[in-house]
Amino acid sequence: MTNFFKNTLDPMVALTLIAVLDIFLFLLVGAWTVGGGETMITGLVAQFFIGDELSRIPFWNLVFVPDAGYWKIYISLGMLFGAIVSAVLSKEFYLRFPRRLGEWVMITIGGLLMGFGIRLAFVCNVSTFFGLTPQMNLGGYLAISGILAGAWVGSWIYKKVLEG
Amino acid sequence: MSVIGECIVAFVFGSIVGLLVQRSRFCNTAALRDAMLFKTYRNTKPLLIAMMILTFGFTLFLTFGEGKAMHFDVGLNQVAGLFLFGIGMVLAGACTVSTWVKAGEGNVGAMWALLFTFIGMFLFSLLWTENFWPPASISMTGEPNLEALQFGFINARTLQDKFGVPAVIFGMVQVFLLGLIYRAIVKKEQAQQLEHDKAAAAHKVKLAAAA
Repeated sequence: MTNFFKNTLDPMVALTLIAVLDIFLFLLVGAWTVGGGETMITGLVAQFFIGDELSRIPFWNLVFVPDAGYWKIYISLGMLFGAIVSAVLSKEFYLRFPRRLGEWVMITIGGLLMGFGIRLAFVCNVSTFFGLTPQMNLGGYLAISGILAGAWVGSWIYKKVLEG
Repeated sequence: MSVIGECIVAFVFGSIVGLLVQRSRFCNTAALRDAMLFKTYRNTKPLLIAMMILTFGFTLFLTFGEGKAMHFDVGLNQVAGLFLFGIGMVLAGACTVSTWVKAGEGNVGAMWALLFTFIGMFLFSLLWTENFWPPASISMTGEPNLEALQFGFINARTLQDKFGVPAVIFGMVQVFLLGLIYRAIVKKEQAQQLEHDKAAAAHKVKLAAAA
């Protein structure tokens, strides 16, 4: 067990375990997803700051009504918790900051595009690869074609920035 | 299951995933980016294996009407949304999973990405008032709605209902196709290794000749 927190785990082992657990989750509540929980967190935080004003924005009335009992939120919080425990036990927890201004800019734009993209698509990368596509939902193939093209364009920009 | 039960199950699942991803450094972004940019497949192969296991498991249970499949109409918004997401994840150097996991390791850049993911979602919610596209799930019918660029709801189970062939059979076809991609990657890696060995051997010969 001590070795578990010392050596890097083979991602093949990790993903096999995650896939098996995801099948159980699928039977109990639904397949692994992150974007929906993040949207609900956004709604709850916005509600905390602006209160009932939020319900004047139709999206938060019709698509996502803020609800702290939405199970998908707790997948995200669990991942954060699990990662903190794991990082502390492996002595890998320390504050790291992006060094260059360019990195901050790329992360900011990247974050905005991810959040906007998730809402436009109704799904995130996790639902695409670990939910929709394995259910052979047409949306999974549509999403994969989008994310492959996006990752290609992103990689091209990333390369230009690295070289420039 | 009660609401609290659902939340506890989700939290336990998330915690185990957080632990496994932190220890294995698996990253979905790297699975796509490294394959395209560096032709390395450390993260691509486990992603394919997981998809094969999930395809078999999900379609098997869907055959018997078990499991909670995602149910909403899909359309061009999945292509457009994930296209933007794909650019974003490479720029941010993290996807939805790794932002949470790296944030848990104390990575301030990942926390920043997460913050702006939330802001991006909120901006979208404001913009949605302008054209109400993509349509809200309450107005979805499961049938194609071409005016809204939506194709309806199709998955392994609807294929079973339509063609009378068990969903798991369709699943096994997909597992086979994913397996072909996996095999192509392994072959490519072997070719890379062979080239590497050749170059190393040539270098050794050169060194020996120089000596």
